[in-house]
Amino acid sequence: MFIEVAQFLTILATGLFFLCFVFSVIFNVNDLNIINLISRIYSHSFLLFLFSFLIYVWLAITDNFSVLYIAQHSNTNLPVFYKISSIWSAHEGSMYLWIIFLSLWGAIYNIFSKNDEPLKARTIGIISITTVGFLLFLLLTSNPFETILPLPPENGADINPVLQDPLLAIHPPTLYLGYVGFVIAFGQALAFLIEGDSNINWEKQVRFWSIISWSFLTLGITLGSWWAYYELGWGGYWFWDPVENVALMPWLAATALIHSLSASSKSSILRIWTILLSILVFSLSLFGAFIVRSGIIDSVHSFANDPERGLYLLAFIGLLVMMSLILFSYRFALLVSNKRIISLSKESFISINNILFGTLIFSTMLGVMYPLIYEYIYDQKISVGAPFYNAIFVPITLLACLFLFSSIESKWQSKSVIAFFNNPTLASFIFSLLITFISFKLYSVSKLWTLASLFIGSLIIFRYILVIYSYIFHKKFVNVYSVLAHIGLGLLIISIALNNDFSSERALNIKINETEIYKDHEITFDNLQLIDGPNYESVRADFIIESQNGNKFSLNPEKRKYFARGQITTETAIHASILKDIYITIGDQLDDGSWIVNVQFNYFIRWIWFSAALMIISGLFLARTIKRARQ
Amino acid sequence: MLIRPLLFLLLVASTNILGESLYQFQNTADEERFYSLIKEIRCPKCTSGSLASSNAPVSEDIKKKIIELINEDKTDDEIRLFLSDRFGIEVLYDPGLNRSTYILWIAPGLFLFIALLIFFFRRKA
Amino acid sequence: MTVFLRLLILSISLSFFYFFYLYINEDKYYPGASFQTSNMPLFELEDLYSNKVITNFDIEEAYLINVWASWCITCRVEHGFLMKLSSQGIPIMGLNYKDDRNDAINWINKFGDPYKQIIHDIKGELALDMGVTGAPETFLVKDSQIIAHYRGEVNDMIWGDVFTPIINKENIFNAN
Repeated sequence: MFIEVAQFLTILATGLFFLCFVFSVIFNVNDLNIINLISRIYSHSFLLFLFSFLIYVWLAITDNFSVLYIAQHSNTNLPVFYKISSIWSAHEGSMYLWIIFLSLWGAIYNIFSKNDEPLKARTIGIISITTVGFLLFLLLTSNPFETILPLPPENGADINPVLQDPLLAIHPPTLYLGYVGFVIAFGQALAFLIEGDSNINWEKQVRFWSIISWSFLTLGITLGSWWAYYELGWGGYWFWDPVENVALMPWLAATALIHSLSASSKSSILRIWTILLSILVFSLSLFGAFIVRSGIIDSVHSFANDPERGLYLLAFIGLLVMMSLILFSYRFALLVSNKRIISLSKESFISINNILFGTLIFSTMLGVMYPLIYEYIYDQKISVGAPFYNAIFVPITLLACLFLFSSIESKWQSKSVIAFFNNPTLASFIFSLLITFISFKLYSVSKLWTLASLFIGSLIIFRYILVIYSYIFHKKFVNVYSVLAHIGLGLLIISIALNNDFSSERALNIKINETEIYKDHEITFDNLQLIDGPNYESVRADFIIESQNGNKFSLNPEKRKYFARGQITTETAIHASILKDIYITIGDQLDDGSWIVNVQFNYFIRWIWFSAALMIISGLFLARTIKRARQ
Repeated sequence: MLIRPLLFLLLVASTNILGESLYQFQNTADEERFYSLIKEIRCPKCTSGSLASSNAPVSEDIKKKIIELINEDKTDDEIRLFLSDRFGIEVLYDPGLNRSTYILWIAPGLFLFIALLIFFFRRKA
Repeated sequence: MTVFLRLLILSISLSFFYFFYLYINEDKYYPGASFQTSNMPLFELEDLYSNKVITNFDIEEAYLINVWASWCITCRVEHGFLMKLSSQGIPIMGLNYKDDRNDAINWINKFGDPYKQIIHDIKGELALDMGVTGAPETFLVKDSQIIAHYRGEVNDMIWGDVFTPIINKENIFNAN
């Protein structure tokens, strides 16, 4: 009964959202009464829709297996937290969540922007019609409200044990929040184009929303990466899997966007870039949703293959994107600035940055599309993976960082001489050279790209530290959070390079009570235990590791067999320290009773997480300062 | 003993490891080569993922074959050719540089070059 | 110049979406089937029953090779269909994959023998050379060339969708 209410509310909300859109088209959007009306209708639509979702969550928590989706993905034995997260563990439910977040951002924008802010009504209208398109997709092709009546099952299917993990449970919500947050920038860009008044400074408004969404997107990607690292057992954190790539592309576009926004919010330079990027970020988010849900790409992430869904999404997204680009083309003259980009001004550096990021997005898209195009033409499968992406990303990212370093002293709309021999630049250069040289000599870092990354990353870190120094001691104004985020970037580059260079692993063959030595660490196979878990049976191996300086600790990797589906998973055991993680998984047992044990030493992996955290936190605090400035 | 309830694990293991030697290398450089190679060879049985990230039986077999070939002093390219002859070129994450893949490798650089050209050209105008 | 750029952006986007439309509607990508030709690898393995060493076949012009094992559950499901094929005169060679000899012989004795001959590939060496990733898998071989490879259980539907077209095209198994 309640499920029908939820479905009804969703249908009602769809109708009301559509009304918002229609009103924003036919009525005068500069009339404050109309704006108030549209704003109120939107709020009500959202509340109805949210209420339907809360009912759905309630049905999941109370084990209502008359709902087909809940029966397929949840189970009475699950803790409440996982009953809720099972909602977004598959296509229909995760789509439901995605649309909730889409309209949620609209609702937040609706509440926190003043009704007399320009473009508000049209922005709401655009967000509404986008929501309507996806709601129709949900109701017509991916209905989460289907029921199994009159005989609902006693219990649901067991959730995939791999999904019963706290980090993995919150990875989709944070990722979706990031993806769909850019509907605001998208809506504002289109509203601006439609309105046709080049004096409206929409960039100032959008910067706030974009930086918050960017932070969430960064968080979502980082959580996915972190989960893959400790759960999957192979010690990697990024795989260039197609589904990771379709999350990376919006992130790249978003990063370019927030930089471009800071330029065009000050003057109307770079508006062409900013509008295009606003359209691009959201389009890439939609493209990502399309790819994982259409079954085109084989990936561990993809939801069920269904050409019908694929075609619907393709048509809807195609329509949205093409109309936006046609609008962009048509209103192009509106965007052209009468101001020139001055050589070596901050704007010029941001333009170069946009071009470099654009190249990265293009290359990623090429890598994802190439196997599809190749298969279509030659009837033969081909794979494009890490070797390609690394070859493109490493040089271009380092190049972008060099430009970043050169841009630190640049000013808005004026030429600045890049004085190579002024103190901070020279000092940074010398320190970085020193660090690189020490690593080369003392730690035998010899690969060229690692040294280059170390050098360039250090350049950025040192230079920005000196910026903070002059902020504290010379009162030279600077945006501290922006500085911190870029220091995070420098650190990320160094960490990734060093992790790649220093990390190593070995598959040991070891019996109980035996000791093997790897990398100056003594690894003793102490014990093997059988453990009965709540819904699994497991074999736990106890290892005692002793390092050269007497540091002793134990690691206990497991191999689990889950009762419900007979699935076998390996649980990694990790000993984390600042410099490295010692990472152990157990493999198979051999006929002679010995076990295969994989030992990995992953260097600087914590630094990678720390850098990401630095960027995320800086982003959120930066958004806060923007908000304060606006009030 | 503990062995009895571990049969479910042995079911996975026994069909693989009938008297085969484990990962024995002649030197550390070879070991590093191995771990580097398995990251760029696709697991032919998995939906996606490299040999490094898979413990499917066929992945283990291929890994052992790679070690065998490394110990026979075969080069990386020879090993890649060996595998692509048997499992198709889709088993290589590096699609190589040949007539049909030129566009893949050249396009990014071309894109950057043209974009920079347009940027500087428009500024001069 | 900007008109050119704008048109470029629009036409590239349009082709992008159009390509996906074409790709989704294309249904020549039958999951699990591959029709790339390659040479049948050379091998020297023992016959399952007689321990006699066999090498490549020249007995028939064309035949199927079916990869199976006594530990493979899906193979049991597939087995009935293979018996039907063999009763229609289709020559099937068995490749016993990483299996204990006695287990395999017992399995055949228990369920029936659809194979003209069974190769005992105890280490999976020939299988590796053929690109086998597990069991069951079935190959179509003609003139020492592998012309079709299916990963998974062969049944009426798969036989009709994957193998029948190429059998008719290559005009083999004339008895049928």
